[in-house]
Amino acid sequence: MKNRILLGLAAIAMVAVLASCGKKPQVEIDATNAAIAAAQTAEANVYLPGEFAALQDSMNAINAKIAEVDGKLFKNYKEVVADLASVKTLAETVVTNVAVKKDEVKKEAEGLLSNIKAVVEENAKLLPKLPRGKEGAAVIEQIKGDLTAVDATVAEAQSLFDKGTYMDALNKIKAATDKAASLNAEIKEVLTKAKIRF
Amino acid sequence: MHRVWKHILIITPLFAFVALMGFLIFYPVAKPPAVEMADARSAISDAFKKNAGIYSEKLFSEAKNCYDSAMSCWTSENQKHRYSRNFNKVSDLALLATKKALEASIDAENNTANLNITIREEIARLRETDENLNLRFSKYPMSTEMRNNISKGEILLAEAELEWEKGEYIQAQKKLKDVEKLLVPTYEFADANLRSYFRSYPIWKKWADSTIAESRTNQDYSIIIDKFSRKVYVYYNGELQLTYAAELGKNWVGDKKVRGDKATPEGMYEITKKYEGDSTSYYKALQINYPNDEDTAFFEAAMEKGSLPRSAKIGGMIQIHGNGGKGADWTAGCIAVTDREMDTLFKISRIGTPVTIVGSLRDLRYALKR
Repeated sequence: MKNRILLGLAAIAMVAVLASCGKKPQVEIDATNAAIAAAQTAEANVYLPGEFAALQDSMNAINAKIAEVDGKLFKNYKEVVADLASVKTLAETVVTNVAVKKDEVKKEAEGLLSNIKAVVEENAKLLPKLPRGKEGAAVIEQIKGDLTAVDATVAEAQSLFDKGTYMDALNKIKAATDKAASLNAEIKEVLTKAKIRF
Repeated sequence: MHRVWKHILIITPLFAFVALMGFLIFYPVAKPPAVEMADARSAISDAFKKNAGIYSEKLFSEAKNCYDSAMSCWTSENQKHRYSRNFNKVSDLALLATKKALEASIDAENNTANLNITIREEIARLRETDENLNLRFSKYPMSTEMRNNISKGEILLAEAELEWEKGEYIQAQKKLKDVEKLLVPTYEFADANLRSYFRSYPIWKKWADSTIAESRTNQDYSIIIDKFSRKVYVYYNGELQLTYAAELGKNWVGDKKVRGDKATPEGMYEITKKYEGDSTSYYKALQINYPNDEDTAFFEAAMEKGSLPRSAKIGGMIQIHGNGGKGADWTAGCIAVTDREMDTLFKISRIGTPVTIVGSLRDLRYALKR
């Protein structure tokens, strides 16, 4: 009887030792890497670069922790699994935050684009009202050049907006807005001087 | 006896197992450089925050490569038997990664600070060029392409400034290079043209002084037109009486050469005809004796030299007339003032009143300071 008990204990001890050699949480690792890749696809590196960098830092730290556990005799990935879960959650939050931020930038770009288009449209409507004949030819020629440059910038901004690169579009629109407004003022000044109603 | 052997058979493996466990647990094994790796990660992360990936690309990439190599070395050491592992290389690589990342951080900080200053100066320089273009040359005759270049350059400059404000120096620098190509050659062309134009200043001054002296001698009116300042000056008895704004021909820089060149002539003339009512489309007009003998001789010499096309004809019908006040140079070479000013000029002028048209009454320094 005593022998059987001893044999049983020995077997339990062996099983316990073997059981403690945990398996690498490959599924969790892949899922976390996929979540980080999804954040990158969502352009987290463009819209929330700080948060995206923190995600990558955390994953690098986990990889180091995995290597550390891998080298141990008795492998315990419990902490690693918990860290992976937390980074995965963080990555998912970043994806949500990016969508919010992107939408904010999109709306700002959309608003500014619509404003500048209204000014461009008004300029185009006012242009034919400028004094005709040789009196206005020089002025029209100069203003037309400026309008062409603004139109080209607005078209570029629209194309960037359509491609979804809202940040770049926003920059272009902001840069062209002042020029469009100053042109508008200039046209109105010429019309006022020439006593033409607009 | 049998019982003893049984005990031995059970106890021996158990003892061996415990001994093995003890050996496995207590035998000293090489420790991986987890702290060094953490330091390297932290240094790389700091370098990234300082934009070393952009402003110290080489060093930052080397730091990352060292860290990645350290990680893969660590993984491969883990594959070895635990008692034959050696993490020295991992440690060395981690330390090197830290060193490179720290260097990248400092380098990025320096480069960023330098770029910030360089770009700020570049923006200021190009802004000044643009301001000078607008101040000195807004009414200067330029080709449509040049005017378009100025417009494009101004929008690009605004974009570059926005990027500089956001700390995106590389993009800002790229845009500034394009701005430079658009604005600087245009400015240089206009500037060289202006300097060449002002070479005639001594002659203009002589003409103006002579016209004022004539007004004093004759105790009569004289008119001087300053093309650069776009001003009509009326002198009486050698004293300045009136100053009006003038509008000129589109290509007002330089002397009139041929008919239809939209240039306003330069020279000493006098009023030959006065028009009012139905005889003029420009409210009232004072015609001058352009071309005078000197202009005709100049034109004929140019035709002989072949510097003008064979079909070229000398211009005429240069007038001071009304319908002005449009804020642009729109005439075919005449001088336009407002109708109210024209009333005064018409009243004080007679056939023979001197009209001198000069490029500028002030020298180049004034034009450049303007």
